[in-house]
Amino acid sequence: MRSVDRLCLAHLWLAFGAFAGAAVLGVWQMWVRSPLGAHTGTPGDYYMSVTAHGVTMAYVLSTFFIMGFGYFVAVTALNRPLPGQGWAWTAFVAGIIGVVMALVSIALGKASVLYTFYPPLTATAWFYIGLILVVAASWVWCVLMFVSMTAWKRENPGVPVPLAMFATVANALLWLWTTAGLTVELLYQVVPAAMGFVQTVDVGLSRTLFSWTLHAIVYFWLIPAYIAFYTMLPRAAGGRLYSDTMGRLTFIFFLIYSLPVGLHHLLMDPEHGNGTKFIQVLLTAFVAAPTVLTIFTIPASLEIAGRLRGGRGVFGWIAALPWDRPMVLASGLSFVMLAFGGLGGLINMAYGMNAMVHNTSWVTAHFHLIYGGTAVIMYFAIAYEIWPRLTGRQHESFSPLRWQLWLWFVGMMVMTLPWHWLGLQGQWRRVANFNYDSPIIAGWGPLVIVSLGGGLLLLASALLFVRNLAVLHRSVLPAPSGSLYALAVVPPRHVPAALNGFGLWNVLVLTSMLLAYGYPIAQFVIAPSPTAIVHRIE
Amino acid sequence: MTELPQPDVPDRPWRIWASVAVVAIILSGALLGVIIIPVVQGRSAGIDAFTAICRALGILPGSPAIPQIVSRNPPTPVSQVVWTPAVLQVLADAKVDRGRAKVQEVCVACHGEQGVSISTDYPNLAGQSGTAIYKQLNDYRTGSRTNQFMTSVAQALDETTIADVAAYYAGQPMRNPNPATLGAPDAIVQLVELGDPSRNIPPCAACHRHGAGGPIDAPVLSEQRQEYLTAQLKMFASGQRRNDVYGRMRTIAAKLTDSEIDGLAAYYRAGLR
Amino acid sequence: MTDQPHETHERWILGTELIWAFGVGVLVAATISVIVFTALTLNINPPSNVERVDPKTLHLSGEFSEQNLGTLVAADGTVTARIIATQFTFVPHCIALPRGRPVTLRLASPDVIHGILITGTNVNTMVVPGYVAQVHTEFTQSGELLMPCHEYCGLGHSEMWAGVQVLSAAEFKPDGDGRVSCAQR
Repeated sequence: MRSVDRLCLAHLWLAFGAFAGAAVLGVWQMWVRSPLGAHTGTPGDYYMSVTAHGVTMAYVLSTFFIMGFGYFVAVTALNRPLPGQGWAWTAFVAGIIGVVMALVSIALGKASVLYTFYPPLTATAWFYIGLILVVAASWVWCVLMFVSMTAWKRENPGVPVPLAMFATVANALLWLWTTAGLTVELLYQVVPAAMGFVQTVDVGLSRTLFSWTLHAIVYFWLIPAYIAFYTMLPRAAGGRLYSDTMGRLTFIFFLIYSLPVGLHHLLMDPEHGNGTKFIQVLLTAFVAAPTVLTIFTIPASLEIAGRLRGGRGVFGWIAALPWDRPMVLASGLSFVMLAFGGLGGLINMAYGMNAMVHNTSWVTAHFHLIYGGTAVIMYFAIAYEIWPRLTGRQHESFSPLRWQLWLWFVGMMVMTLPWHWLGLQGQWRRVANFNYDSPIIAGWGPLVIVSLGGGLLLLASALLFVRNLAVLHRSVLPAPSGSLYALAVVPPRHVPAALNGFGLWNVLVLTSMLLAYGYPIAQFVIAPSPTAIVHRIE
Repeated sequence: MTELPQPDVPDRPWRIWASVAVVAIILSGALLGVIIIPVVQGRSAGIDAFTAICRALGILPGSPAIPQIVSRNPPTPVSQVVWTPAVLQVLADAKVDRGRAKVQEVCVACHGEQGVSISTDYPNLAGQSGTAIYKQLNDYRTGSRTNQFMTSVAQALDETTIADVAAYYAGQPMRNPNPATLGAPDAIVQLVELGDPSRNIPPCAACHRHGAGGPIDAPVLSEQRQEYLTAQLKMFASGQRRNDVYGRMRTIAAKLTDSEIDGLAAYYRAGLR
Repeated sequence: MTDQPHETHERWILGTELIWAFGVGVLVAATISVIVFTALTLNINPPSNVERVDPKTLHLSGEFSEQNLGTLVAADGTVTARIIATQFTFVPHCIALPRGRPVTLRLASPDVIHGILITGTNVNTMVVPGYVAQVHTEFTQSGELLMPCHEYCGLGHSEMWAGVQVLSAAEFKPDGDGRVSCAQR
């Protein structure tokens, strides 16, 4: 086993192990909220569980998976060893320490502030320091990704960077930019309050700083799925990527347009004016573009594969695709969930419609579907694809893998579709105990139970996923060889520097962040909000 | 063979067009959102363009589309206590020794030196939250809360002394004169831990347990005198006691039955937390 | 020479992408146009109101003192409901509002972040300590609606909601001071 394999496996097992635990918590939460489990579980227990579930799924599963996958791409796409492995391992250790600090704080009941931790509700400082450690570890990863690509470019002047690595570095840069908001909020406002150095918090500023991170972070989570769509899926399907140029542009669009739009999470907040919010909505409409472009490029790539396999007619190529392969199956299921989740996103971004759904179960449904569905099902597919390379062993059967993916898809749809509907009825978020005596709320009960059913399917899928990976470690079949990454129909020989590096795009990100966030943040310096007293949870 | 960088793939057009695109989108958003939309909306409501733009930017309050309400009302406060950093600093700077001296002079006659009161009608103060004691004494001082004994006592105290007394009693360990009798009725335990959603009653523990993240002046109820607790809940229910800011306790107490009030008082007397 | 089909092929592919991208542009433009159109013709706006108020002294202030909360019909006929959102109750607990008339809701929090929605309507706003949240709306149907707190505000969040009574003109009767309370049902 190469040492980078151990590094990748360490990250991925941490991510998926934590994920399985959080899945159990999720089902308990759904049980307690439903008529079946009413009056069981105190609010203290519930919000502890929601915090643990949210922190694990949003910060641990995602970050460590992306780091592990990134190290793998850096080595396999560039065909060179990973620079700075010592740094990578140190970062991993720091990350584990951070995770333990955060989870222990939560388990002791000293951090029931949810994964969004909105001040003035304030947890113990250890919780926030744990999260800061995880972010710091991820920054080391970002630097190593950038160093990897830069070293390869020096060794291969004028050659286009392989798309998988280009996209990974775009994601790393996006992460560096987006974590700035959360880091400033924590270091400047929340940790001093948690430690008792200050007794009040400017809540408007803290919400704004957190919103800086809130949108691009979901693209940080989503981009690995797109990396798989653009580079791994066409090869798994037996075809080619329709356009390498569009691939590069897609990831560049994500980098540019997902960062300045965080304020759209504050559309229902009083502390920003209509003008600011309109600019945000306009920019958010543009971040739909890379996804809609992908909806053309990837099916076009699959059509090539389908026709190469003998598919005829306008849609015959769809049936001809090798759906028995987990990467292909997962991608198809992911696209279905992307359709629903993406449309939901368009509704969220228009403030007129957002007013119907803000802070209702619609929002919960949306992000479970688009992150837990579209992105995480691709995390599974990526794991199934790269695990053989990491362990040197091949899956003995693809059937449990397909079962697990189908279970995840069905469970996610069954869980989230009723939630969307309940949100439109006005069911609100973050409730430990619903009053099923009220006629309005009693009417929601049956759909809540249906959602719970979906959650149980998801738990079964999560456990089956872990089993599938564990079993692979003992498989007797040798791993396949060959590149995991697809060629483009027209492999690029030269690309403009703008599509091979990020100098220009970093400047544009800085410009757009200044234009979009400059005044909204400056507002709190010019005229600070009257501060609110800290409420300590400990 | 060393590779020269490929000069024939133009980069400048990319830089120019990308910059133009990004800046143009944001500026057109600003033009629409900050100028055009607010001015047009303001016109139909009789709001001048400058005001409408200021409202869209958030420099002035209100909507560009609807005239802003102006409110004028004389204040009729319930409690004068304001939790500012300055006040919290006063509490942090309090001197326990000065507090003990004052306690021995004034408070000990009813509340005991260790904060265990001499009568079941007077509250225990041992281990009580310092912010809670501070607030109640100040409310007695300003008349937001009235009691035949406490009003004159509090009016003779100044803010620093109140803080000292609060710090002293807060530092006293809680002592249970009667050993805990676990075995409280389920309905009472449920009120304390789960509340009653059908009556909008949050769990008592959501505010009155240490570290719950509720109001910072929420008093500790554990090991409190049962008759005192019952009397306070009944006074909140009738509205006779009004120094809970925005009626947090009046709203809850009014919804409790008499047996629930008795049950809760017994629960907390027994030292259960 | 060998570059020719390479370049042509690449250009053809990018051409199809450009056609699709044009469609994407139309989608984006259409979405924004609808938002701009409704903003200009129906005055659809998000609930912005950058009006600062100190949460620590809110109970001392004139507008949000206890006696001034609830629905008030001013001398000029405008209907304003002033509501406090605090851990863990709304004050007043039931809000009476008229059907078919423009109303303004003004909410403030003396402690942590809360938020409200009114079921069956598009009334939705965060209530952020330090700011007065303001929503302009008009109710089109009478009825009993729920106004829950929809943002996590502590361990009592699940029990925090108010009722909204949307009353017909006949039932919406201000008293001598212009105040309207919920009808006893």
